[in-house]
Amino acid sequence: MTKDNNTLTGFGLGLRPKHFPAILNDHAGRTPGVDWFEILSENFIKVGGPARRNLDRVRERYPIVMHGVSLSIGAPDPLDMNYLAGLKALIDRIEPVLVSDHLCWTGAHGLNLHDLLPVPLTKEALNHVADRVSRVQDYLGRRILLENASTYVTFAADEMTEWEFISALAEKADCHILLDVNNVYVSGFNHGFSPAEYLAGLPADRIRQIHLAGHQNNGDHIVDTHDAPVADPVWDLYSQTISRFGPIPTMIERDDNIPEFSELVAELDQARALCRTATREPATSEAAA
Amino acid sequence: MTTSLADIQSAFQNRLLTGADDLMPLLANGGRFFKVYDNAYSLRLLEVLAEDFSALHTLLGDQKFEQAMRAYLADHPSQHTSIRWLGRHLTEWLGRTEPWRDHRELADMAAFEWALGLAFDAPDAPVLESETLADVAASEWPSIIFSFHPAFRTVDLLWDIIPFQQIVTRDDTPTAAPMPLEHPATWAVWRDPDSLSVCYSQLDKGEAKALNAAREGATFADLCTLLAETADETVDENAAAHAAGMLKSWIDNCWITGLAIKDNDKP
Repeated sequence: MTKDNNTLTGFGLGLRPKHFPAILNDHAGRTPGVDWFEILSENFIKVGGPARRNLDRVRERYPIVMHGVSLSIGAPDPLDMNYLAGLKALIDRIEPVLVSDHLCWTGAHGLNLHDLLPVPLTKEALNHVADRVSRVQDYLGRRILLENASTYVTFAADEMTEWEFISALAEKADCHILLDVNNVYVSGFNHGFSPAEYLAGLPADRIRQIHLAGHQNNGDHIVDTHDAPVADPVWDLYSQTISRFGPIPTMIERDDNIPEFSELVAELDQARALCRTATREPATSEAAA
Repeated sequence: MTTSLADIQSAFQNRLLTGADDLMPLLANGGRFFKVYDNAYSLRLLEVLAEDFSALHTLLGDQKFEQAMRAYLADHPSQHTSIRWLGRHLTEWLGRTEPWRDHRELADMAAFEWALGLAFDAPDAPVLESETLADVAASEWPSIIFSFHPAFRTVDLLWDIIPFQQIVTRDDTPTAAPMPLEHPATWAVWRDPDSLSVCYSQLDKGEAKALNAAREGATFADLCTLLAETADETVDENAAAHAAGMLKSWIDNCWITGLAIKDNDKP
């Protein structure tokens, strides 16, 4: 039914137009320190011109992973086959190592709110999402990864924790997990759960990629803004994550206040150093809790 | 009784779109951070529209632009998976919605900026080589029909908005508002396939008519007839030669992707 292309290793960055010159002009080959790039799928579906040409050039030098925001896997509407056809065509052209989207919904009744909205953590939602993931994977002919989104509300109807939901979903739909460590921290802060407990509840063999990003702390809540360097508590949680799960391919997302490319490469070096340290040390008691 | 997934999602969406309060009892902890979703929804969409229509934004100013865009979004909530298509109805909406419809320069500016955006990222397509014309048999010329590149558009303008747009694009501040044109103008907008830069140029009246007809399926013979009809205004007496020259320039500009011979049995 599905094939695995799980050969990704090392550390990557989100591919952003601002960085095309630095990536493509300054180096005949690869930039030291960047092993792969992640693209936002929607920016390249049925798109030509400079975006397509630049992506093709980057693809000649680097492995690519695809990350979407519009699958709306938790939505009540039927799967958008037009979107999936565009996604599949891009997959066929780019041959990405991994394809991911979010555990979320983005709209209902034919509308798109262009936000990653929280899925109620109920058995009904679990069955609904698992069925849709299976159908998407059948259509694409490959497993997908679903990412834990940052959330700002939970529902009175919730019947399980997010980590229980994601673990059950991965098992039931036979999909993989993109673990966003920043999102674990953000949601944990907003809802008062322990990030370490979250990590401990995840199935290690399903986690195939890690996201890191910056956030904005507003005192009583945190917003996942992707507009700043990775925060110190998230670095700590990342170390715990690597101690627990091993050296999972990791990338940094930056979507606003985008700095020079070299600055992000340096930040990625921080991830690499922490990963090296964490894999040399036994799991900490906190991470293993 | 538990609330179904679909009902929760409908309430969530209604809250974001209309402010309806059916959602709040369905949230845990009083939904005290729901405002994050509220803020993000309108801010994100307004930001995208301001980026896609930066000259329209400058023309209207912050306050009126936000007022217009909020009304537009209420009439046209996004139905596309990509936020890139959020502004696709804006030109038509500005042209028919009070009070904006009384200021035609707004719809003109939106139309021009939207065409530039489409030209920038429309799908690629192989363009026709001019040598291909040599392969067309003389008997087939009258029945030739044309396919146009996805990045090619024409824009009809009543106001002289392009200088204003160019100033905004250079990050300068326009010192004068656009003025009405003496005569309506049609501009061609396209993407150069080598440099990938977006190009635009004004068309004369006859060529604009011919282009619009060709895009709607007119044959080469139809174009000759059209040009002959407007000969007293813009072209010489030899409409066929003029049409051939025009077609060559369309091909040289990489507007055409293919030729076909119209099946005369079809309407």
